[in-house]
Amino acid sequence: MIQLWRSTFGLVVLVAACFALATLVIGVVAYEVTHEALEIQLDHRVAIETHALIDEGDDGPTGVAAAIRRREAARSTASLDYLLVDPSGRGVAGLLDATAPITPGYLELLHYRRDGEHRIAQALTTRLPDNSRLVVAADRGVIDEMDATLLKLFAGAFGIMLLLGIGAAWLVGAVTRARLSRIDRTALAIIDGDLARRMPTTGTGDEFDRVSATLNRMLDRIGGLMDNLRQVSSDVAHDLRTPLTRLHNRLDEALTTENMDDKRQAIEAAAAQSRDLLDIFGALLRIAEVEALSPRAHFQDLPLDQLVEELVDTYRPDMEASGHLLITAIVPQIGVTGDRRLLQQLVTNLLDNALRHTPSGTTVRVELVHDGAVARLTVADDGHGVAPEDAPRLFQRFARAERSRSSEGHGLGLALVAAVATAHRGTVSLLTPPGFGVVVELPVGKA
Amino acid sequence: MRILIVEDDAETNRFVARGLTELGHHVVTSADGRDGLFQATGDQFDALIVDRMLPGLDGLSLIKALRAAGNTTPALMLTAVGGIADRVEGLEGGADDYLVKPFAFSELAARVHALGRRPATQTEASVLVIGAIELDLHRRTVTRDGRRIALQPREFALLAELMRNPRRVMTRTMLLERVWDFDFDPKTNIVETHLSRLRSKLNAGFDDDAVETVRGAGYMIRS
Repeated sequence: MIQLWRSTFGLVVLVAACFALATLVIGVVAYEVTHEALEIQLDHRVAIETHALIDEGDDGPTGVAAAIRRREAARSTASLDYLLVDPSGRGVAGLLDATAPITPGYLELLHYRRDGEHRIAQALTTRLPDNSRLVVAADRGVIDEMDATLLKLFAGAFGIMLLLGIGAAWLVGAVTRARLSRIDRTALAIIDGDLARRMPTTGTGDEFDRVSATLNRMLDRIGGLMDNLRQVSSDVAHDLRTPLTRLHNRLDEALTTENMDDKRQAIEAAAAQSRDLLDIFGALLRIAEVEALSPRAHFQDLPLDQLVEELVDTYRPDMEASGHLLITAIVPQIGVTGDRRLLQQLVTNLLDNALRHTPSGTTVRVELVHDGAVARLTVADDGHGVAPEDAPRLFQRFARAERSRSSEGHGLGLALVAAVATAHRGTVSLLTPPGFGVVVELPVGKA
Repeated sequence: MRILIVEDDAETNRFVARGLTELGHHVVTSADGRDGLFQATGDQFDALIVDRMLPGLDGLSLIKALRAAGNTTPALMLTAVGGIADRVEGLEGGADDYLVKPFAFSELAARVHALGRRPATQTEASVLVIGAIELDLHRRTVTRDGRRIALQPREFALLAELMRNPRRVMTRTMLLERVWDFDFDPKTNIVETHLSRLRSKLNAGFDDDAVETVRGAGYMIRS
């Protein structure tokens, strides 16, 4: 039962039933109120008529009888019926074919006959001063007709509500099922290996479209990660082959040479080579970890301006020693939410790059500004810059532009910068030439 | 020193044990978390070297269990690369230091020595004195033979770290961690640069070098 209500169909049926029930309740109440009002109205009419008769007849039975006759002479179907009986109960005037009630007052159901037909009237019996009784009766046919009309009306409304409800339930259920089954089919197709498939959207921006759009974004993200993974696997295979080959050659050399000094040199070179390889793996794993967004769990508010300032101070001696000119413009009180060590590494990698890939005499500019909801860090230099064709893939793993090819490095530094920025919900971009510059934008947190 | 190594990788275990034995330490090894915990509680050690991933009982739980039982033997945790969160977890879980695999043996040895001589409870003096060098942590002043030496904040922090660990080799990565709070190795030799600046300031007007460079290992303050 609970299961049924959880389905769209069941839910709509439930709502429809509620509406029908409400209609029913409203119907019953309206019926009762109308019925009562009509009865009161009839009572009222009978009472007025009784008073009029008694007034016209001056309390005397003869006068009343005359008044009755006058009215009956002009009677129509909607007219009231009258009966005047003397104290012994014999009819004096009036055509009402019924027994006059003994007790005066209102009688809701007075049985009488008209044209041989048994009918019911609402009557008021009044005792005249001479103890004769005057009965004024109004046929209840009006009320019954009205009741019947009301009943029909409400029964109709109830039926229509029920039908509409069931129809709506069926329609909504069918539409929902149809749209869900399209999503379902797409999902099954994706499971089957059609990874490029996306959830259908109608462009109306309704709930289904929103869910589909979210699912599509999720699929895009997963797709991006998968592409990345493929890319990384092949990059790793390609880029590690060279250092591994060198390592192998060195060890080979060590094995073949007889000269102990040469042997030692070769082994030392091989050890350095293997350390290098381990560094590459370390950097790759770190990027992978950052890309998996797991550090987000440890994010905290930290002052970015201080962090950058400290790192700039740390690099200043090296910059000066290598003949670089370091200029800074750091706006104070800029906070971000993030991982201190990862952000340190981001800034460090940018400073490392600026220092190692540019010649002496280069000016390195470090800038941190607050721009609306964004903290913008720029590390730029006026060195040779990179070739335009190198620019697009510079943030990918093992991407090495011409300017860095001569210096050591694995092309993983900027990939990590991009990964860290993304993990912090930020972006990275390159400044346009001349020179070379990386711009990192991070959402501002508490300072 | 009596050192317990809990490491399931036989190769690493053997490599570390042999190296430490050669340095004159008494080494006990275990390849399993439960056995390691049993050994650590049943015997007195000066330092523990515990791998993060272990069969039976993982390294973090092992150290937590020891600490819960009131055992304060200094512990160095070993972990595979990556693990940005592992480091925090390990240190919060009661490990005293943390080393990422693969590591150079000299690095491990330096850290184990640093661990072993670390007093159990440490209330730091506000003035550190090694030989003729005096460093006041509160007033942030340094003097050598009474002569005032002006240092940059980083150089001061670097000297303070070296002076907190007299007669111990501080490796490059240890200094990066403790002075700069880096858990990575920058390509630029910032430690070397800062050390050479510190050294030239410390040695100006003196004949002997206040800081000793231990080749292939790190730096040590000369007492």
